[in-house]
Amino acid sequence: MDKNNTLTTSVEDTKVPWYKNSQAQKWIFLAVVLGPAFACYFAFSLYPNILTAYYSFFRWDGVGPKIFIGLRNYEKMITDPFLYKALLNNLILASACPLLVIMISVILAYLLVTRRYKEAGFYKVLFFLPNVLSSVVVALLWTFIYDGQWGLLNKVLELIGIDMGGFYWLGSEKTALLAIIPLYVWSGVGFYVIVFMNAINSIPASLYESAILEGAGNMQRLFKITLPLISGVIRVGIIFMVLGSFKGFETILIMTNGGPYSSTNVIGLYMFNFAFSSTEIGGFNQHDFGYASTIGMFLFVVLVGANLIVNKLFKHEAVEY
Amino acid sequence: MKERRTIGDIFWRLMLFLWALGIILPMIWVLYESLKTNREFYKDIWALPEQTQWNNYAKAWNYLGLGKGMLNTVYYVGCSLFFGISFTALCAYALTRLQWKGKRLAWNLLMLSLLLPGINAIVPQYVIARSLHLTGKLSGLIFLNSAVLDIFSLMVVSGFMQTIPTELEESAFMDGASLFQVFRLIIVPLSMPGIVTISIFRFLALYNDFLGPYIYLSDKPEKYTIGVSMFMANQQMIYKSDWVSLFAGVIIAMIPTIIIYLIFQKTVTQGATLGAIKG
Repeated sequence: MDKNNTLTTSVEDTKVPWYKNSQAQKWIFLAVVLGPAFACYFAFSLYPNILTAYYSFFRWDGVGPKIFIGLRNYEKMITDPFLYKALLNNLILASACPLLVIMISVILAYLLVTRRYKEAGFYKVLFFLPNVLSSVVVALLWTFIYDGQWGLLNKVLELIGIDMGGFYWLGSEKTALLAIIPLYVWSGVGFYVIVFMNAINSIPASLYESAILEGAGNMQRLFKITLPLISGVIRVGIIFMVLGSFKGFETILIMTNGGPYSSTNVIGLYMFNFAFSSTEIGGFNQHDFGYASTIGMFLFVVLVGANLIVNKLFKHEAVEY
Repeated sequence: MKERRTIGDIFWRLMLFLWALGIILPMIWVLYESLKTNREFYKDIWALPEQTQWNNYAKAWNYLGLGKGMLNTVYYVGCSLFFGISFTALCAYALTRLQWKGKRLAWNLLMLSLLLPGINAIVPQYVIARSLHLTGKLSGLIFLNSAVLDIFSLMVVSGFMQTIPTELEESAFMDGASLFQVFRLIIVPLSMPGIVTISIFRFLALYNDFLGPYIYLSDKPEKYTIGVSMFMANQQMIYKSDWVSLFAGVIIAMIPTIIIYLIFQKTVTQGATLGAIKG
């Protein structure tokens, strides 16, 4: 800042054309601002990605010396049943959640836009509300809902005559993963309602009008006009959510930490626990930064693969209107 | 395009109402239970409390570590926002308004991070931060959250800066203004809508972040942010079943984000789709 000020005064003193000194100012500004920005960007965004690959060849508890072990971490990885279990759980979440979220949010957005009920504005605000809540709040809310003794779910079921006998939804291997899905849907739909409402609003009204004149019903208009025209947005939404479900594990960490018996474990959480958890997981010793990095490499490959597969499954079709 | 209301509308309206109920019910329920005693709560979750127990909130604040957590959060979010947004605006100025060789390359380099998932590299990120002594303290967390650019924020502010006409800048330079003066007196005021938008989103992201503070503050309970405090309080419930206080804590943790959301509701819902486009 000071440098710039002295530069300006020198402009007035020596009557140099403004652009000459502005060159000097510009380079100082660039160096002072973008220098640190790019240094930090390399140090904390790009370089760690390279380091992940490097660490994956070592055994390292994070504190002591690193021991080079070649491909042993990778050998361990391909025979690690817990990792495959985590991958399977990830695949279940990555296929169920986006599908449910898209279906529900398209219907809700379509209703809010085309039916124009007077409460639509209020609903739009309310539906988005879970998106501004923290993952801790959302995870705890749902942990409370699923509690066996006093959880909202069991109590509501009791009201309608179904006695679950204190069944703890997150405590059983059979239901824990399925119980995570409604949480993701609950907290994800609001965002896509807004996205799809904007997409539907940008469709020219004349298309609907002529469809109505030709006698097309509500359902026909939804399937023949709305859905084809917002398919591009749906596609982006699916990619976004599939990748997000592979990346995200905060909620699961808070709710179940992968348990019971790895039934809710996901790849990201498995990696996290190997590096940072203080409790033993899957019989392996904790604080293994090397193996955690190996799982990080695996996660990277899975993410790239998921992106390719989703792109292939939902080919981009440009629609003109 | 007026349409007749049909019998189907009753069904559709009911659907919307049920979804709305599903969103709000868990929160109302937790609020309701947070005003009871533990005995009342265990006995019957539906029954009204004999007396509203506001002191559950005091207990959550004082004994579950939420008070300290909230204080830490205000400090960490406040500083990260101020430094982070200022730095982002400066970078956006350098990357949009200034003409220099290598600008394209710089942008491409930054865009590279959109392709990298990031989460797969949390272990080395932690190791680097630890070797720079940034772990175990709030100032370290503030540094990481301000100095490491958030690409989404950078793109939004840059978008706004690009629309400012160059004549304004040029005439200011003619009048002898320095580069920094132009930035502060012309560029910043004119890109205020963008700066406000990213400030709201950064606030929500910083306040709601759990994983960052949890990893970087791990062994320093006195530094915990609200999210980590809540998580730890929940872990404690295995030993002391004071659920009503934890419910009060959840409500306390929700309040700041809900207030910000209600005030800036339009900006938030409009800005949300800005992020979707980049996906």
